[in-house]
Amino acid sequence: MKHNELLDNNHHMDTDIRLLLVDDEADFRRALVRRFGRRGLNPEQAGNGQECLAVLADHPVDVVVMDIKMPGMTGIEVLAQIKEKHLQTEVILLTGHASTQDGVDGIKSGAFDYLTKPIEFEHLLSKIQQAYEKILREEEKRKEAEFRAKMEQQMAAAERLASLGTLAVGVAHEINNPLAIIRESAGWLTLLLKRKELAESPFKKDFELALQKIEKGVERAKRITHQLLSFVRKQDSSFSHINLPELADETIGLVRKEALDKGIAVEVKAESSVDSIWSDPYQLRQVLLNLLSNAVHATGKGGSITVTIESLKGGLQLTVRDTGTGIPRENLKHIFEPFFSTKNPGEGTGLGLFVTRGILGRLGGYIEVESSLGQGATFRVWLPQRHEPRMELPEDTYADILQQIKGE
Amino acid sequence: MIKIPTRVLLVDDEVDFVEMLSLRLNEVGEKVTPAHSGRECLDILGQKVIDVVILDIRMPGMDGIETLREIKKRFPLVEVMMLTGHGTTETAVEGMKLGAFDYLMKPADFDELLLKLEIARKRKDEQEERIRKAEARLLLRKSGDI
Repeated sequence: MKHNELLDNNHHMDTDIRLLLVDDEADFRRALVRRFGRRGLNPEQAGNGQECLAVLADHPVDVVVMDIKMPGMTGIEVLAQIKEKHLQTEVILLTGHASTQDGVDGIKSGAFDYLTKPIEFEHLLSKIQQAYEKILREEEKRKEAEFRAKMEQQMAAAERLASLGTLAVGVAHEINNPLAIIRESAGWLTLLLKRKELAESPFKKDFELALQKIEKGVERAKRITHQLLSFVRKQDSSFSHINLPELADETIGLVRKEALDKGIAVEVKAESSVDSIWSDPYQLRQVLLNLLSNAVHATGKGGSITVTIESLKGGLQLTVRDTGTGIPRENLKHIFEPFFSTKNPGEGTGLGLFVTRGILGRLGGYIEVESSLGQGATFRVWLPQRHEPRMELPEDTYADILQQIKGE
Repeated sequence: MIKIPTRVLLVDDEVDFVEMLSLRLNEVGEKVTPAHSGRECLDILGQKVIDVVILDIRMPGMDGIETLREIKKRFPLVEVMMLTGHGTTETAVEGMKLGAFDYLMKPADFDELLLKLEIARKRKDEQEERIRKAEARLLLRKSGDI
């Protein structure tokens, strides 16, 4: 807000108010504009209601100062249209000496206030300033409400994710036992089929095929339950000093074969000055492995994956950038949700990034993604230099969200 | 090479699991004794020679960890493999700190299980062999004194 130093001592005037003066008397307008000019204000002008609406349709105006009695549309009629189409514009009406009733009607129809002609200029100025302050207040309120709504929405989403996670993990525990029974039963049948008495059965092949399907199904279900369980792996005392570039190299070793087969170049670029961090190496390896194997899956022949490690804001930033297919815009906000996957059934569990974000939350870090279709994807992970573990999952998720909101 | 059977004690409260895995292990030449609780496991260990105990962590009554402590106290040479359907790898790791040989997550891979059973049995055999030799040396020294 700019303050005009030339103004009188009683009140200040914002000189960046966008002002529109509407009156059918050109002389009156000219006189007023000149006086406004001396106070640093530069109002636009309109000679009638139509012109006024045309200006408003073209660009927004904060305050309209308008005569009620005009040929064609009256001020009241124009006011009704302004209130309908330009909610954020405030209107100050000017009435003739004997027609205060018009002014009252105007206020009832949504005018900020009215002034009686002949007007007292200082009075008009202060009314304009008041109307403008009202606009600022409303805008502030609107922004606050928007912010609150957005935050509540994110909190609700986080809570849903957390309880969904807890539920899924409970289910995973319980499912491993029947899975084991299925696997052992199928395994037993497979062994039986190798016995002499059954070796010549005409259905041997069919049995074997069905048993293989069962085994594959069990393996798939097991991948899901085990990955879910890794999400809630409790913190134990496995924190240590970690050389992140070394850990990255080591983890790349696990995906190197697959990358080589696809002709993908994998490279680590680390700032020479990066310090070690105090964190959980096992969980970090899981994070790296998830990001790297995603990158390998998304990248086609001859592509590349670059891992960058640099110091940032009291911690380290690790970036995994690939030249792969990229993530469409509509999927970006879903990729960290559990069971969201674009891979074929059986190929991905839809839990990798969900688990990754959960781990990073517990390690005091966060993850961001940037991607568009055909442009590859960039995952940025930030980790604090030193993090003291906490147990509570939901709290960390909130902290993560608060950080996101603040970061905007 | 002739397969040396491992004498396995399989302990899990999941009756169906014990039944099926026992059939499977017996079929490939191991000798399995089934048990469905920690108590039963300890009773059997008191009566039979067992090389490796496959022990479920989560059981009603005496749980796997408690049973493990008791096994290591009373039958220190018996190798124990922890089996967890309850995911918490931490408990399995705790088990290893208490002297368990290794652990497997349910549903376990059969070949991996066989491999680990073999290594566990060999470890127990070697340990017993060392004890025998030590005892023999002890005897020799004693007789030399006379």
